Amino acid sequence: MVHLAKKSIKKGALDIMFADWLFILFTVCAVLGAAGLVSFRHPMNSAMSFVVTLISLAGLYALLSAKLIFATQLIVYAGAIMSLIIFIIMFLNIQNEDLPVEEGRLKNMTIGAVLIAPIGLFLMKVVKQIPGSDTVVVDPNFGGVKEVGQLLFSKWLLPFEIVSILLLVALVGAVVLAGKRGINK
Amino acid sequence: MNNDFLLLMPMLLVGIGGIGLMIASTYESITHERMAISGMGLFGVAFLFQLGNTVAHPTIPYEQVFNGMLVVSDFTRASGMIILGCGLATCMSAYTYFKQNPFCTSEFYSLIAFSACGMLLLTMAQELISVFIALEIMSLAIYILVGYNRQSQTATEAVLKYLMLGAFAGAFFTMGAALIYGGAGSTKFTEISASISANGYAGNAALIGGSFLVIVAFLFKVAAFPFHAWVTDVYEGASTPITGFMATALKTAVFAVFANFLVLNNGLHEGWINGLFYISILTMFVGNLVAIGQESLKRMLAASGIVHSGYLLIALVAINTEQFTGGVIAYYLAAYSVGTLGIFAALSYLGGEDEKRMNFADFKGLAKVRPYSAAAITIFLLSMAGIPPTAGFMGKFYIITSAISAGQIALAVFGIISSILSMWYYLRLIVNMYFHDAVDTFETDTCHKMAPVCTMVLALCVFAIGLYPIII
Repeated sequence: MVHLAKKSIKKGALDIMFADWLFILFTVCAVLGAAGLVSFRHPMNSAMSFVVTLISLAGLYALLSAKLIFATQLIVYAGAIMSLIIFIIMFLNIQNEDLPVEEGRLKNMTIGAVLIAPIGLFLMKVVKQIPGSDTVVVDPNFGGVKEVGQLLFSKWLLPFEIVSILLLVALVGAVVLAGKRGINK
Repeated sequence: MNNDFLLLMPMLLVGIGGIGLMIASTYESITHERMAISGMGLFGVAFLFQLGNTVAHPTIPYEQVFNGMLVVSDFTRASGMIILGCGLATCMSAYTYFKQNPFCTSEFYSLIAFSACGMLLLTMAQELISVFIALEIMSLAIYILVGYNRQSQTATEAVLKYLMLGAFAGAFFTMGAALIYGGAGSTKFTEISASISANGYAGNAALIGGSFLVIVAFLFKVAAFPFHAWVTDVYEGASTPITGFMATALKTAVFAVFANFLVLNNGLHEGWINGLFYISILTMFVGNLVAIGQESLKRMLAASGIVHSGYLLIALVAINTEQFTGGVIAYYLAAYSVGTLGIFAALSYLGGEDEKRMNFADFKGLAKVRPYSAAAITIFLLSMAGIPPTAGFMGKFYIITSAISAGQIALAVFGIISSILSMWYYLRLIVNMYFHDAVDTFETDTCHKMAPVCTMVLALCVFAIGLYPIII
């Protein structure tokens, strides 16, 4: 009995260790992908690098047992939106000579890094001091469609509803900015 | 229950009206003139509803359904009235503006309605995620309105700059909200306040960092120092009625939510008094420096908007979190909005085709050719400079007395100095209009009186708002 308990504790500790390693892996990938997004020269490389970020974020959601968010992250962001963006880039058929010449790229990046560094240090300090909370085993249904839906339509009804106006504005805006040029219709 | 519905009525009207205008804009037979008139009707009715609402003490409409995320108070009612009034005046001046600058499509007015809906939500929201979404509704509609003229290079430049920097501000806000959630365990203002009261503010690094980032986002939106650099380019690139709308309604909405956020707990406000003290002084003086060097009227007005943000920041430093009424802030916003909107309404019709008259020199001798327009512009400029008996004077008077009663004597003195400095560029336009001979004939499309009427009404409003506290 004692032996078994010991073994299960050991196994639990191993699981936590494993989750930690996964967490580190996903965060490093997410940050590297984001860095690639801004530093690659060709838009296609940037887009592919952004896919890495989105998939790593999906992994982070999975670690938090947020099943539905994990699935939507993969299907909607990494799947639908990113493939749309990649299609558009492929349609435009951007060659290396089409890209603008960026002079002083290294210099700008260094200056930017120097300026951002204090903010980064400040944020690291802040994040370190976020009060931790005890880890509890969540309900097996946690993060499922029903649970998220109930939360969304009870506690978070207002933000959920006003997002629809935001999407409507974006839609009208796309029509206005990219549609046919109407002159004083 | 019924009362709750009435309290939210203006916001619902503008939101549903925006959808209605959007659907109407798909019909060929509906011209943009008709859309403008419907827009005016919509804002007028919503304004009357907002005027008719009485809010004795802060109420939470539909507390169960919305989980207490919206709070209506006298302050939100007043700022809502300013926003709706700005929408009305913008529709009126856009009607005339698009006679001379033909790039309007009928979706224009639905976007104005949507952005006003976002602004009204922003004034009432008491929860960080709702605030973020409302902020984005407002900003997204404004980005599109800024870039509406696709033929114009300055408009394209303006929208790109504004979109990029606005996205940064949005990202700062989200990061800040996440950190506040980490520090306080909730995004609702009441629960954040409870957490600060229980555990203190000064020792909680996540709360300090989070509120810092949220305040940075607000400072960006109101163009306070050091986040003011975008404002002159963006205001210049946008079409004149939209510049007026951005300068007034957007600022009102953001200052309303800024004040609501700062007063959520005394600890939070006290933690930021020192920071806001320096930011407000720098904002006033940097704004004055920028404004003095400008040749274009729109750029000058953009820079003077920075200075006015500085005065409003003084009011934010001086607010009393225990008995917050927001009266001083709302009054100043009303006074400032009337003056600024009036000038932009006048520029909408005086600017001529393709906004050809936009510099100080272009308005030489306006008083000889169009005495009424020149007189109206003079009233607006004097109000913005703070000369009695205009609304601007009373607004500054209230802000400075509130600073003195809060013990911020230094801020009051700096406010007065900055207001004297600002006379330079306001009087410069008046001198140009009155003490020079006319070179231009200032011919405009005379059969559309909408913007001139709006200008005259706003000129009357300057005195009405100025005398309101004396009469009541």
